Order: sequence, then C-alpha cells, then structure tokens
Amino acid sequence: MNDALLTLAQAGFPAPMSQATLMHYLVVSALMFGMGLIGFLTRRNLIIMFLCTELMFQAAGIALIAFSRFHLNHTGETFVIFVLTIAAAEAAMALALVVLLFRRKETLDASSWMQMKG
Amino acid sequence: MDGLISPILLYSGCIVGALGVCLALPRRGLSPQIIGALVFALAFGILMVGLGIKAPKAGLPNFNFYLFAIIALGSSLRVISHPRPVYAALYFILTILASAGMYVLLSAEFMAFALVIVYAGAILITYLFVIMLATETPTADQVEALADFDRYSREPAMATVVGFVLVAGMTTLMATGVPGAQPLNTGTTTAADLNELPRRVETSLRSAGLIGIDEHIAGDEAGHQSLDLAPSEGPARVRVTYGQGRTREITADDARWPRDLQLTNIEGIGFSLLRDNPGSIEVAGVILLMAMLGSVVLAQKKVELDEAAKLAAQNRSLASTLTLDNSPLMARTIPGAPNVREADVRVGQNPGGAA
Amino acid sequence: MIDLLHHLPLFLAQAGEHGAPAAHAAAEHGADGAAGVGGLLRVNGTLPAWSAYLPLLPLLGCVLCTLCAIFRVKTRLPAILTVALLAVSFVIAFLTYQHTTATPGAQAALVHLWDWINFTGTVKTSSWSAAQTLVGNFSFYIDPLSCLWMLFVTGLATLIALYAGEYMGHDLGAGYCRFFMAFNLFVFSMACLVMGDNLLLLFLGWEGVGLCSYLLIGYFYQKPAAVAAGKKAFIINRIGDLGFSMGIMLTFVQFGTVEYAKLFPMIEAYLVHAQHGQLDQIPFLVQLIPVLFTIGAFGKSAQFPLYVWLPDAMEGPTPVSALIHAATMVTAGVYLVARFFPIYLCSEWALPIVAWGGAITALLAATIGMAQFDIKRIMAYSTVSQLGYMFCGLGVLGAAGGVGHVFTHAFFKALLFLACGAVMHGFAGQLDLRKLSGLNKMRGWGVVTWTMLVGCINLAGVPYITAGFYSKDTIMGDAFANPHTQAIGWILLITAGLTAYYTFRVFFRVFVGPKHYEPGDEAHAPHDDHGHDPAGGPALRAGPGHSEPHAPGPESRSTHGAHDFHPHPPGWAINLVLGVLAVCAFAAIPLVLNLDLLSDKIAWVGGMVRHSTAGVNPPHHDHAHFLGFEDVHGAMKIVSGIVALLGIGIAFVLHYAGRTTAATSRADALLPRLGPIPRLAQHKWYVDEIYDFLIVTPLWWMSHIFHLIDKLLVDGVVNLAGFMPRVAGSLVRKQQTGVLHDYAVSMAAGITLVILVVILYTTGAIGGPLAATLGGAH
Repeated sequence: MNDALLTLAQAGFPAPMSQATLMHYLVVSALMFGMGLIGFLTRRNLIIMFLCTELMFQAAGIALIAFSRFHLNHTGETFVIFVLTIAAAEAAMALALVVLLFRRKETLDASSWMQMKG
Repeated sequence: MDGLISPILLYSGCIVGALGVCLALPRRGLSPQIIGALVFALAFGILMVGLGIKAPKAGLPNFNFYLFAIIALGSSLRVISHPRPVYAALYFILTILASAGMYVLLSAEFMAFALVIVYAGAILITYLFVIMLATETPTADQVEALADFDRYSREPAMATVVGFVLVAGMTTLMATGVPGAQPLNTGTTTAADLNELPRRVETSLRSAGLIGIDEHIAGDEAGHQSLDLAPSEGPARVRVTYGQGRTREITADDARWPRDLQLTNIEGIGFSLLRDNPGSIEVAGVILLMAMLGSVVLAQKKVELDEAAKLAAQNRSLASTLTLDNSPLMARTIPGAPNVREADVRVGQNPGGAA
Repeated sequence: MIDLLHHLPLFLAQAGEHGAPAAHAAAEHGADGAAGVGGLLRVNGTLPAWSAYLPLLPLLGCVLCTLCAIFRVKTRLPAILTVALLAVSFVIAFLTYQHTTATPGAQAALVHLWDWINFTGTVKTSSWSAAQTLVGNFSFYIDPLSCLWMLFVTGLATLIALYAGEYMGHDLGAGYCRFFMAFNLFVFSMACLVMGDNLLLLFLGWEGVGLCSYLLIGYFYQKPAAVAAGKKAFIINRIGDLGFSMGIMLTFVQFGTVEYAKLFPMIEAYLVHAQHGQLDQIPFLVQLIPVLFTIGAFGKSAQFPLYVWLPDAMEGPTPVSALIHAATMVTAGVYLVARFFPIYLCSEWALPIVAWGGAITALLAATIGMAQFDIKRIMAYSTVSQLGYMFCGLGVLGAAGGVGHVFTHAFFKALLFLACGAVMHGFAGQLDLRKLSGLNKMRGWGVVTWTMLVGCINLAGVPYITAGFYSKDTIMGDAFANPHTQAIGWILLITAGLTAYYTFRVFFRVFVGPKHYEPGDEAHAPHDDHGHDPAGGPALRAGPGHSEPHAPGPESRSTHGAHDFHPHPPGWAINLVLGVLAVCAFAAIPLVLNLDLLSDKIAWVGGMVRHSTAGVNPPHHDHAHFLGFEDVHGAMKIVSGIVALLGIGIAFVLHYAGRTTAATSRADALLPRLGPIPRLAQHKWYVDEIYDFLIVTPLWWMSHIFHLIDKLLVDGVVNLAGFMPRVAGSLVRKQQTGVLHDYAVSMAAGITLVILVVILYTTGAIGGPLAATLGGAH
C-alpha cells in the first residue's frame, strides 16, 4: 500500500480504498467474467451467447470502476463509458445479424452454421 | 500474494466454483441446478473467507458489497444456466442492477445511473425485442416446448474448466500484481480542478455562509489569480468582490470553510472525458455511428431462405393453416368482409399463411 | 556474340580509320576508279515530292480495303480501288523514271518523307568514347535500278489485281476485302523494299513482303495444307531474315551507318581495292557482310537450300502465286544482290556463293519440275530454277544479265501463272496434266492457249523471237566468258535444255492433243501434292509405269464428271490481262537485246543497270573462249537456241506425237529405263524429307524432351512447393470444425495459456530474460 497514494484521497472520492477491498471487487469481477465466458462456450442459443458477452463486458466494467476508485482517478470511469458504447454498438449490430441469421435458417442454434468447416 | 489471499483457499475455491457452475449448467439427463448453485455459493464463500482472513479490519468492504456480489453472481449464474432466453435476459437485468449497486459503493454514481439507463433501459430491451422476433413460431402442441439447443448446453465440463482456469489465473495475477509496476498516482481529480469552476465554488461558499448574497468571486482582470484552491503553499484562498470594486480574500483557515468543497463524481468524469481525453468522445461517436449505419444496412437486406429452411417454413405454415381452419377466429372471418383484416393480421405472421 | 559486343568499339574505331583512307584512296585511284565508281555511288539528283506517292498509294489502298472489310462491302469495290490506285502508282513510277533519266549524269536522288528512326548513343570504353547515331529515315533512294523494279512491280501488280478481281469473284464479301488488303500491303512493302534509302526501310519492306506472303499463302485458312504452307514460307523466310538482319547489324558496326547515301561512298575505298584484285586488304568482317546478305536473299528468293517454301506457296490463290513469282517477293533477293553489288564485289566468297547456289538451284529445280504432274507446281519449280539463273547472272559478274532476266521473267512468268490459274479456275481446281488435254479445241480457251504458248516459248528460250532467250543467253554467255565460271555455264546450259523440255511437256499435254478433261474435286482449291499425300499412292504409281491398269479408273470418273460439269472459259478481264502480258513479253525483246554493260549499243534494261549501283565495274578477268569461238555471247546464242529447240523437240516426240489419251504418253515407256531417277525427281529428291529428318525431327524430339523436363522437373519443383502447404494444411484442417464454440474454446484456452505463462514468468517458475524484464525481483 502506497502511503503517498492515500494522501491523494481528495476531491470526488470519500476516502482512500485499501488494496484488500479492491481485491474483493476484482474477485467478483473475475468470477463474473468467468461465468460469461463459460456461458458463451456452453450455450448454443445465439441470443444467450451475446448476453454472455454482455456479462463479460459488465465484469470488465466492475473491474474498471474498482480500479478507478482505488487509484482515485476518473479515467477508469471514462473507460466504462467506452465499454457501454461498445456494448450498445455490439448489441445493435449483433442483434441485427442474429435476426438475419434467424430469418435464413429459422433457428437460433449456433451449431447450425458450419460453413467454415475445413 | 500471500498478503492478500491464501493460494490454497483461492484454488480450492476455484475448483469448487467450477464444480458448482458445471452442475448448474443445463444438460442431458440429471441437471441438479439448485445443488450447483449451492456449491457455487460455497465456492464464493470460500473465496470471500480467503480474502477476509488476510485483510485488515479497515480493508474489509462493507456489508452491502457482499449483498450486491451475491445477487450479481447468483443472477449471472442464472443467466448462463436458464434454458429460456427471456428469463436469461431478465436475470441479466438483475445482474446489471446489482452491478450498479456496486458502482455506487465505489462512489461512481454517474456510471451507476448510466449503467441502469443504458443497459437495463436500452440494450436489454433490444434483446427482449430480438428474442421475441427471432423465436420459432410454436405449433399448437408444443407451445411450452423448448428447442434442443436451449435445453442442453454444449460440453459444460470443458468450458467450465477453461473458464475457471482463467479465473484462477486472473485472480492470481491480481493478487500478485505485476512486479515492479508502480501504482498510478497521478490523480487528476484534485481540488485544483475547482479553480475552473468559480460559480460552483461561489455557490458552495454562499451556502456555507462565507459570502453574502451580493458578493461574487472576482474575475482576474487584475492579472492575479482570484481563485486558488490548491496553492503550492498556504491554505486555499478565494478573492471575492463586493460593492464597487472592493475585494476581500477568504481562505480555508476560516472556520466556516465548507469541508466538502471538492469535485463531485460527475464533475470528475466531465473533466476526465472532455478535458483529459477529448478525442475519446469523438471515437465513441464514430463507433456508434458505424453501428447505426451497419444496423440500417443489415435491416434492409433481403434474405434468401436456404432450401431446408424453406421446406420447414412451408410445413409450418401448412400446419398453422390447418389449426386456423379449426379456430373460431377463422370461422368468424369467412362470412364478413370487414373482419378479414383481423384475420390477416393474425395470419400475416406466417409467411404465405394468408393463402 | 559476347565477343562481338566486346569488340564493338574496336570495329567502330576501324570504321573511323577506314573512313579517312576511303577518300584518300578514291583520290589516288581517281583516274580509273572515280569514273566507274564514284558517280554511281553518289547522290547527285533531285526528284519532285510527288514521287513519294508511289508507295503511299498502295498503303492507301490497304487502308481503304480494310475499311471495306470493316463495313462488309459485298461488291467488287476493293478490286476496283486496288486496280485504280496501282495504275496511278504505275503512272507515277513511269513519270519518276522519266524524271530520273531526263537529267543527264544524274544517277540517284533522295526523296525524304519523314524522320523515322534516329537513335544517338555513346559508345564508351575505358580509353575513349564516341557518339554513334543510327539514322533510318522514311525516305526513298531512287536510281534507275529502283525505277526499273518499280515499273514492273506496279505494272504487273495492276494487271494481276485486274485478273484477281475476276478470279477471286467466288469469294466476294467473305475474303475479297482481306485479299486485296494484303495485296496492297504486299505492293507497299515491295515499294519500301525497293525504294528505301537505308537498310532499315529495306528491312521493313523485306519483313512486310514476308508477312504478306504468309497472309496470302494462308488465304484459305480453313485448309490445313494452306496453313502449313503459310507457316513454312514464314519460318524459312525467318532463317534467311536472320542472316540478313545480322548483315545489317554488321554493316552498322562496320560503317556506322545504314543509309545508302553515306554507305556507298564508304564502300568506294574497298571497291578500289577489289578492282585492283587486292581483296586481302579488305577487312574480313566487311567481306562477311555480303555473305550474310546472301543468306537473306536465298531465303527470300527461294534458292537452295531455302527454296522449299516456294512450291508449297501454290496453296495460295493463283494471282498471289503470280504476284509472288513474277513481280514482288522472290525478286527481292535479286534486287538486294544487285543493289549491294559493290559490296559483293568487295568479298572474296560472296559472289561465288551466289553463283554456285544459283546454279545448283537451277538444275535441281529443273529436274524436279520435269517429274511433276501439277502444272502450277511445275511453274513454281520453273520459277525457282529461273531465279537460280538470275543469281548466277549476278554471281558471274553479269549484273545486267541477272537483272534483265528478272525483267523478262516477270512478264512471262506472270503470263504462265495466270494462264494456269485460268485453267484451274475453269476446271474446278484441276491441275493434273494427266487429266486435262486439248484445251485449244474447246470453245473460249483460245486466248489462254495462245498466251500460254507465248509464255512457254519465253520460258523455254526459243531463239531470237523471245525476250527470255536474250536474257538467259546473256547470263550463260557471262558465265562462259569467265574461265573460272565455265562449269556454271555448262550447268546452266543443261538446265536450259531441261527447262525447254518440261515447259513444253506442260503445253503439249494440256493445251494440245486429244480433247479430254476431268473436273477438279473442289472449286478453286488447288489440288496437288501427290508427293505427300498417302492417299495419292495410286496416282503416283499410275504416273511413271503403271498407267494402263489405272486408265479405266480416271476415264470412268471423267465420263461421270463430264455429264454434270462444264468448264467455264475465262472472262474478259482474264483474257485481257493475258493478252496484255503476252504483248509485253514480246515488247520486252528490244529492251533486253544487248545487255553487255561495256557495249555502246546497250539496250534499255542494260542502260538502267549501268547507271545504278549494280553498274560498277567488276574487276577485270581473263576472257575465255567458248568451244573455240572468240565471241562467247554470239556463239552462245546459237548453242543455247539449239539446246532449247532440242528440248522442245524431245517434248514433242514424247508428249505430243502419237498421244491418244490424256493420261498416257510415250514418255511412260521410257521412264522405267531411267532407274530411280524419275521417282526421286518426282519426290523432289526427298529434300523435304531430308529437312524433316535433319531439322524438324531433332527439334521435335528436343522440344519434347524440354517439355518433359519442364513438366517433370520445373513443374515438379513448383508443384512440390505448392503441395507441401497443402499437406500441412490437411493435417491441421480437421481443427476447423466450423462450429462457433470450438473457435471460442480455443480462443479462451489461448488467453488462459498466455495468462498462465505470464504468471509462471512473474513468479519465477520459468525464468529467463523475459522474467528479468518483467520484474527481476521475483
């Protein structure tokens, strides 16, 4: 723990955060990310797969906010705005694609698309 | 690492968590989802205990954290394990809300609200719409039935192993840190930023009773700084004018000086976003524009059904026509012309069904 | 080659050195050299600019006929245009001739059209450097020799175009425009060749006539034989052109210029040496130039061993044959030798090569011609033979005789070909002299018969009444006049007898005798080539000895054919052209009466030659006697006349007297006694087969071997390079399942692996430089 860092606990943040507290948040973030990854790998419904990517985004967001709080620096929060932007853009595009794919094959099963088989 | 979490507890927690997730995932045959959830909760407990043992008293997060963490992780487990997409999406909203709670705990109020508005309010609604659009038309006898690909997950064991090895690796790395890397200590949200917000300081000082209703913070026409909230030496000071060009100086030594005179979260984000990273907002705008264009292009695209799908659609429309023949709605539409539109609306959902 | 390049600066230096002594020597030998040499090789005349239209009008005709082809003209417009433009060209040629000879003492004039090639480069060595300019303008060098050539080229081309307008009538619309396009281009190329004032323009024309001959010989491009003949002509001409182009390069290397106006004055110095018999003072490479030119001339003029393309060129339409044989292409080689006669005189070997090549060709072609049955083919071999005479004339220092024979030959050979073409036209492609007889008894064939007779007596050299007699006689006289070339003279004399025999063999078989005809198998397609065609085997046997058993076969066919086939006699255009040519053949007599360059009463053609570059004085040689006569030429006239009449007489006895059918004659009884010779001659002495064996087959095998090497070795290496990635790809291809999740799993596993490696590095479990970089503390 850096003492100099603690003195920076000024505007916008109530008090310096301990590294142990940060670790709690990071563990939760890692678990949530792992869950999103597992979901993406196991679920076969295209929509749920994209929901799982959102879950991974969310885990990243929690980690970023926690770091931002720990470092008393708003850049992490700015980055979360980016994460939201990407998530929104991805939702718009990916869901449009999902609808197209669904219209073509009348199914949401990701395993039904195997054109890239070598 | 030893200072933050015991490796034995960390890895055992990861193993138990993997077991729990694996049990909770939908699969063929026996699918003990509740047991899996409990095992996963046990794993979370092991990890939290592992963290709590090594943490100093001041380092423990407050009670609300545990509450939100349990809700977030539990509902995300449900997102990946619930067979029905609609429920998964709703559970995801719950995850978002719990995450927003954690944001508030991390004093990121603005991001918490943004998260709820953008994610829960916009993105998830889009998801729900898509789920409704892209769902196979149920036939009469299988209204409640689920598609195979929703009911059974694909190779849960392998995916879980991969996922939790990653979690263990990430956690280990978090606990270890990258050796030699110094923590970032260039906090930009200092009191100095308030120098650029004289009206905000004025309001704050006035509500604290330090300046009267007719006093204002002086402009710096005299060439000297009238507002210096983070001086290199001495207390913070503010020069205010009153009457005709008379000024006086207020310093932080004053007993009435507001203790909470500092940037709020939203002001900090504003400075970070618009002053420190002005290009980023442009980039975000371009990304959103591209996404919009892409969606428009994709939405206009005519899609050719492939042969198998055409056949399936024909069969389905045939089946639905047969069911419609027996329905009272159909019986009503035949005699009266005005009612035809009602039937069309209903039948129009099935391509070719109106015939 | 590399050696030559290496020595290039040296040659240039030599050229520079020799430039200076040239003027020196000319001044030194002024008394006897300048009078005979300097005046002929210097440009001292002027000509009006309109003479440049002479070659440009055929070019215009070519463009107009192309336009006709584009607009799919289905009338005789291309023929009319061609005849009109070529007639105007002829008129211009005549006016140019008048202008050239009007000013006394003027030998040559330049007409500059535009700059064409102008390269300047610097040749550098370590010791010196020199600027070198290659200039080849589009301008014309007009002296009596080019005038003479252009007169008969344009005149004959006009007549042949008129003839072709009727002859090619069956192709109206289809290939008519194409034919006349190539025809005009042919004349244009020939004009460039003859009139060009530098070797580059000459070479352009040289290649142009090669191209046009290819286009015209292969005119019936759907016939494999025509395509093969076109290819053969083109390829054999390439061999000659290689030698010629090497000669041009060597000329540039040696003299630093290819323009006649600069080149000929430089040759003067060497010529002075040559006239004094000091050939050893002339550099070897200068002596090599005419030898290389000779290769080109032999290729273009169909001399042994490069003559084989010309008989095959019969596959083209007959007017093309007439054009090639009489006026344009084959005389190009003779023109080249005549034009560069001064350089030939400078060489020790060039003229003997020319003379002996010509003599061998003359005899060989005559013997082959005796045994053929296709009348057009016989005419083709007679052309080869007569070209041999022309080269002999030049080779035995009788330039006027050679050129004069070109002149007379142009008329009677055009006449013979066009008459044969009329026969072929009228009898649906029938050219076999065993299947045609007694044309003089048929209605409408009188003009053809009589003009054919005129051509035949010219070719045979009937004494005193034919132009061919005088020109041929001059050549033989020149050969006998020189003691070193009397052997050539004897060969030519024998050949003259053979020529008379085979010429009248055709006449007696086809044009007189019992009336009989069988139509050819197809309209206008030349029917020939018994020698190559395996199916023609019976016809071959029928020829010499076994005619009797086969006689009923053709007879029955003939009666069958006679019912539904009626020969159509030639129309007015063909008859007119034949008549004009016959008149011309006689009109040429006074023009070639005396071709002795030293004589005062020299005839017109001789005068033209004397005032051109071919008129330089040859080195003096001892005068020889012929059979004891002092006046060789005078004695020659009598002897050659007797030989010609003897040949005609033998032909009369063997092929006319007592002949009752078309297919048989008294000669058939004689043939078996001659052993294998007739058979060999009929198969053209197997020259084509020998070439096949010596050149074509080895090349074929070599190309197949290289093809195999290319396919197995080169392709193998390349394919191996392509095959290895495929094998590697097929090994890992199974990983590409196409299932989205598998890719995601591998991606996640990759990320996990990276994180594990980083952890292991940072915790020091696996060490190394990277661990030290990331944090040496651990």
